[in-house]
Order: sequence, then C-alpha cells, then structure tokens
Amino acid sequence: MSSDAAVTTQAFPSNGRVADDTDLVEWYYAQGFSDGFPVVPPTPDKVEAMLEALGGDPDYLECRVPPRWGGLTRQVLAVNMVMAGCLPSYAPVVRAAMLALTSQAFNLHGVQATTHMAAPLLVVNGPIRNAIGMNSGHNVFGSGNRANATIGRAIRMILLNAGGGWPGELDKSTLGHPGKYTYCIAENEEVGCIAPYHVDKGFEETDSTVFVMPAEPPHSVTNHVANDPEGILDSIVSAMSTIAHNNAVSSGHCAVVLGPEHARVMAKYEWKRHDIRHYLWYQAHNKFGDVAFQHRYGKVYNRSLPKWYSRRDGDRIPVVPTPDHIHLFCAGGEAGRFSAFIPGWGHMASPVLREINGKSPPGGGPQCVDGTCYL
Amino acid sequence: MPLDTPNSGIAVFDPRGVVEAEAIPIGRRHNTLAGLRLGVLSNRKWNGNKLLRATVKALEADTEFASVTFYEKESFSKNADPHLLGEIIADSDIVLTAIGD
Amino acid sequence: MHDAISLEGQDRATAVVVTTEFKHEAEVQRAALGMEGLVPVVIQHPLSTLSDEEISDRGADAAAQAVRIWLGQAAG
Repeated sequence: MSSDAAVTTQAFPSNGRVADDTDLVEWYYAQGFSDGFPVVPPTPDKVEAMLEALGGDPDYLECRVPPRWGGLTRQVLAVNMVMAGCLPSYAPVVRAAMLALTSQAFNLHGVQATTHMAAPLLVVNGPIRNAIGMNSGHNVFGSGNRANATIGRAIRMILLNAGGGWPGELDKSTLGHPGKYTYCIAENEEVGCIAPYHVDKGFEETDSTVFVMPAEPPHSVTNHVANDPEGILDSIVSAMSTIAHNNAVSSGHCAVVLGPEHARVMAKYEWKRHDIRHYLWYQAHNKFGDVAFQHRYGKVYNRSLPKWYSRRDGDRIPVVPTPDHIHLFCAGGEAGRFSAFIPGWGHMASPVLREINGKSPPGGGPQCVDGTCYL
Repeated sequence: MPLDTPNSGIAVFDPRGVVEAEAIPIGRRHNTLAGLRLGVLSNRKWNGNKLLRATVKALEADTEFASVTFYEKESFSKNADPHLLGEIIADSDIVLTAIGD
Repeated sequence: MHDAISLEGQDRATAVVVTTEFKHEAEVQRAALGMEGLVPVVIQHPLSTLSDEEISDRGADAAAQAVRIWLGQAAG
C-alpha cells in the first residue's frame, strides 16, 4: 500500500473493531500507522492506563500537529504512546515535548515539510530523567534504553500519524536521518562539570524540562590528545567551520554535546558554560566568499544569514549569530574522549525549552522580537 | 470511541486525530486583469525569486497592470508577517507568490 | 499556502506557484485549512538546475496558469 493511501484514503472500521483472529501488528502495518517497526497493539487497557497518566479526559485537545493538522487529543496521544512502546510514566515528557514542538517559535510545519534532513532532537533535564530510567551515559544517542527509544519514537509516531509527515508525502526530506526513528537523550547532570542546561536557562535543579531543536545527526568529534579546554574545543570548532551543514548557509541554532572526559578537562581549568560557548562562537567561522561559492553561480548575498554579517568575500563570518545560539549539553559515558557537534536547521526555527509538569518557562518561553525568536 | 462496546471482535484505535477545518470561500475573481494592481510576494528563496521575476515578465508582455509591487517575507519557511499581508492587501488587487525550492 | 489563504480570505485573488514535487502538499494544506477552492499554479520540478532560458519557459507556463486563476477559469 502506498503511503498516500495511509494518509488520506484508508477507511477505518466504523465500529472500531476487527475480527478476533486479526494479527494486530500486521493490521496496524496495513493501515500505514507504523514508522516501519512493528507497533505495540494499543489495547483498551493500555490506552486507559496511558490516558490516566495524562490526566484523563480523552477528548481534551492538547494541540494540533502540522502539516496535516490532526487534532492531538489525549486519547490520540495515548494511542500513539502505547504503539511506540512507552510506559505511562513517560507521559509527562511526551506531552511536554509535543507542546514545545507545536509552539509557534518551533515552526513544526516547516520542520516536517522541509527538504532538509532535520529531525526534532529532544534533551531531557531534571529529576524525571532518573525517575523514568532514561540513559544519559554510554551510547546515549544509540540503542538499548526503553525510555530514550520510545519517547523519541512516540514523537515520531505522532508526527507521522497526526502530523501526516509521511516520507514523500508531506515530509519532503531528501535524505532524512536515523534520528527520524527516535532522537531523544537525557543530559548527564551527574558528571557535574557544567551547570545543567535547564539551570543555565533559569530553572531550578528540581525542575524537569524538555528541550527541542530541529537538528541534523550528531557529528562525532575526536580528541584523545588535548588536555586543555582550547585544544578540545578547537576540534569542535573544526567540525563547526565548514560550509556543508545548514547553519553555515541558513544560520540559526546548533547544539554541542561534551562527553564527560572532555567536560572534566573544562572543569579542571574552571571553564564554565559561558566560557565554552563564547570560545566556540568566537573561533568557529567561515569565509563569506566560501558560503557564497565565490559567486560562481551569480552574485550571492544570502538573505538567510543575518544582515550584519560582512558580505566581503575574504571576511570571516560566525557559524551561528551569537554564543546563545550554541546549546551546550554534557552527555555520554565516562570512558572515551569524544564530543559531538549537532548542526541545526537554520534561522527558520527556534529551539524551545519547556518545563515538564506545566510550569511556565522563565520569561514565558522564547522571546520573539521583530520576527526573530531567541531561547 | 467507547472502549466497552459489547460488539464482537478486537478494539482498534485510530492514531491520526481528526482534521477539522471550517470551510473558507476563495476571494472574488476578475473579468479582466488590465488596470489591476499586482502584488508579488517573494519567499526570499534564490530560485523562487528568479521564477517570480520570469513569471511577472511573461505577464507584463500581455497585460498592462496599474502597478506591480514586489514584497519579501522574512523567512521562506514561515507565514508572512500580518503587517506585511496588510500592506499587500491595501495595495494589491491580485497576488502572485511561490513556495518550494 | 498559509499566506495565499490569508490573502484570498481578504478578497485578493492569489496565484501560488508550486512545483510538481510540492503539489500534493499544497492540496493537503488547502484541505486542512479549509480552502478547497484554492487552485495552485503547478510547474515542473526542479527549478534549481535550470538555465535562464528554461526559467523563462517555466515563468511563461506559470503566467498562463495564474491568469486563469485570477479570472476564475482554473479547474482543480
């Protein structure tokens, strides 16, 4: 069956029931309600338990999901979470993430429909990480942890089913990336070398938050040699200073994930978040002429980059407009001298940070002035 | 869907959510284009911009508009600012715009 | 499509140009936003690799379709 039928024409049984001998895994596949992996068949008991964790009231509309604009009622949210394999204890995280993703600043419509490969990256902070058993250590971006895997998968299932982001249909991504199955980590706050991300943004350590940002896949940064902050960060600077990722041509936000061994070097020299982000911003750069392809295909101004960037060919321009456009996290296992650079999508979206149990973020969320939003 | 329907068979759930949209009619059409004010809204994309200019050139070969005004929205990926839309509505009778790459 | 729907809602006949690759998205959007009557201008994808002459041809195609849309003669 084509994905076209899955989105627009598949008839759903009017009484909401199928024959007793139906193989439900295959049935949900046949409806086109899967991300490609088998889904957990949503039984009434499981849906009910998930609904209870969401606060009941199955018809309560949490948000609408673009570009299809399917209504995400608590019932629909619960069904997708069960299908993704979530436990009810994950419900506050998935709900908060969906509310963050559908806030205006995030521009989910654009993220879903773009030809770029961006997928929403989720980073969870605060006590809920450990309470629900999330992995912030070894293989943090990889497989092997139910909470990380199924929270991210639930988001994708909702973006597919309610949002209609079926490949080639409304999702026009040329290549996509593996994070479109699941792309959810927790910050490793236990390393303790830098303040937790959400605390840096004004929350209490006892608060739990979810950060969302449209992102390319992580790019591994290796440095087994340097034993000072500058040496390690210069390797990250090198990963950032290229015209090949979307920040280079479309500006916007990016993320950097310090592995614990690298983070400990920062702590040894008392480099704080502020120092790290400013160093990366100041050192990472491209030449405008390179971004403009030396005008080989016509005079390039590039309106996606900030107006104040120099347009002289030999001048250096930053990779992102300010140090605040670099979202810094510590995550990963204790062994290994690796970090990661994660390019974003561009100026078209702002990351969103949201408290998981509904408290308003400091200042009410991203500040949008003159059409530009800053987290 | 009630979970306790006493029908035979297994309950299944639709994960898609309902799309609800209030029907909105399109705007008034015109008998002739001559003498109308044409607004052209560019999304700032390199190729889209070239196409819009080529389209306007082709239009002007056959039609004498009262005016042709080019507008640019802030980002190709976001809705145009309401203030900009207000400006277009005030100064145009018909509009040409483009999406995609 | 959002911009076009806002403009049509204010009585400004709008021709929105999409390439064939984005036609389906445009149709889903107009349905989701309640304006089934909005007919897009559809031109052949891609745009980015075309010569100036080919862009000119695409422009002529788009212009012909836009005229029909503004005059209320387009079906779709």
